[in-house]
Amino acid sequence: MDVSGELSIRGLTVDYGGAGGVRALQALDLEVEPGSFHAILGPSGCGKSTLIKVLAGLIPRTAGEARLPGDGSVAYVPQGNSCFPWLRAEENVAYGLKLRGVGRRERAERARDLLKSLGLEQFSRAFPGQLSEGMRQRVAIARAFAVEAPLLLMDEPLSALDFQTKIAVQAELVDLWRDRRCTVLYVTHDIDEALTLADRVSVLSARPGRVALTAEVPFARPRHQAGLREQPGYAAAFRKLYEAIEG
Amino acid sequence: MSAPMRVLRAIAIGLILPVALVLLWQVASSREWINSLFYPAPWDVMQRTWDQASGGKLPHDARVTTGRLLAGFAFGAAPGLAVGLAAGVSRTIRQLLYPLATALYVVPRIAMLPLVLVAFGLNDEARVFMVAFSVFFIVFFSALSGVEQVDRIFVDAARAFGAGKVRLAATVLLPASAPAVFAGLRVAMGFALIVIVGTEFLAANDGLGARIWLSYQIFDFPSMYAGIIAVTALGVLLAWALLAVEWLAVPWRR
Ligand SMILES: Nc1ncnc2c1ncn2[C@@H]1O[C@H](COP(=O)(O)OP(=O)(O)OP(=O)(O)O)[C@@H](O)[C@H]1O
Ligand SMILES: [Mg+2]
Repeated sequence: MDVSGELSIRGLTVDYGGAGGVRALQALDLEVEPGSFHAILGPSGCGKSTLIKVLAGLIPRTAGEARLPGDGSVAYVPQGNSCFPWLRAEENVAYGLKLRGVGRRERAERARDLLKSLGLEQFSRAFPGQLSEGMRQRVAIARAFAVEAPLLLMDEPLSALDFQTKIAVQAELVDLWRDRRCTVLYVTHDIDEALTLADRVSVLSARPGRVALTAEVPFARPRHQAGLREQPGYAAAFRKLYEAIEG
Repeated sequence: MSAPMRVLRAIAIGLILPVALVLLWQVASSREWINSLFYPAPWDVMQRTWDQASGGKLPHDARVTTGRLLAGFAFGAAPGLAVGLAAGVSRTIRQLLYPLATALYVVPRIAMLPLVLVAFGLNDEARVFMVAFSVFFIVFFSALSGVEQVDRIFVDAARAFGAGKVRLAATVLLPASAPAVFAGLRVAMGFALIVIVGTEFLAANDGLGARIWLSYQIFDFPSMYAGIIAVTALGVLLAWALLAVEWLAVPWRR
């Protein structure tokens, strides 16, 4: 997989409903380093999901440009329950591979490997309706990693999970990312989660969204959200992001 | 109470009223509280049903009716599903078809019979068409609304992975709308049975509908009841068959 090249967004403006509609993003600029984990924070309704969907090619942009890393293909974890209820866990994971014409044998193998690294090897034949919320989000994450796209777009994939489960999936997620070195753009509304996962964090302003601040996360890896508050510099990092979100 | 006991108990309770009604009917008819010419005792009806079932007349009519019904069902449901999905995917197709389909949907099916006979003649094509016509619209609308109710998030996920229109329809819209489609198919099966029996009343010399109607006209009431029982059994069997297909086709809903 070619993961080279950065994600570069220039002057991105997105209006919903044409002229006179809602302006969700306004001349947004963002640079994301190749292979880095970049978190997006921002108040509810500021346009975080909109940004992700534009990059996923789901909604048109009104103005501006986005250059995507590698071959321009993306993987996407939507905000919410996105596993296909009619496909078994392993078929969900293999969905993108099937669209790309990967053969049955290799699909099954890659799906099983991914489910294994997320602790779901026992559940590969289960339907999403038979899984817990945490397991379903793991499947959605596995489905995104399976296609080995150079850019991985994740929209609050863990926000519905309880703290314990969230911590466990965070660790699995970071392992998968470090293994593959793809670029990750990760939306969250949780400052601590951003500080746990990301190399850099950008804060969007209230709607119409634009980048209000981009900050380096100063903590060494491996990190752990439960122990984050004991890190020197945590209070300052948290405050800086919190104030930026408040505007 | 254990689970099997609960099931047995539920069945036993459910049987109380039907059994009581049949017994009451038996007594009322054999004691001549009701006219046994029009309302022959259940025992006589069962004997007649048995005679005709073993004599080959009833099985022949049941086969004829089942054949017409299934042919009509297939010729109605398959295009109904395809066109309904297409209308769900394409706004142009939807705008093209929706007004006409809505208008035709409300025409009482049996009111079409004379027109259909004029068009096809008095033959099985006409009878099959009657069924197909009523099945088509029910399945069309259930597939259309099934597609319209598909959660946006699944469409987004598939498109982000690179699914085009055809792949999207095959891998997302079709399975996601399957529960709605099967609900429509169940309703359509009920309609199909009504329509084929009504059509056979008026425009056939064989089939269960014709048997019921002809028996009525010659005052052979036990045979009439035998026909009614056969039609009911056919309806129950087809409903079960459809549930079995659904069980196989929609495994995630089990
Ligand atoms: N399909 C749509 N049509 C019209 N307006 C929309 C649509 N989707 C989103 N919006 C508007 O665009 C703005 C940004 O929405 P978006 O979903 O991107 O916010 P968000 O930052 O992801 O919020 P949250 O944190 O609650 O998920 C909101 O004001 C919303 O009302
Ligand atoms: Mg959002």
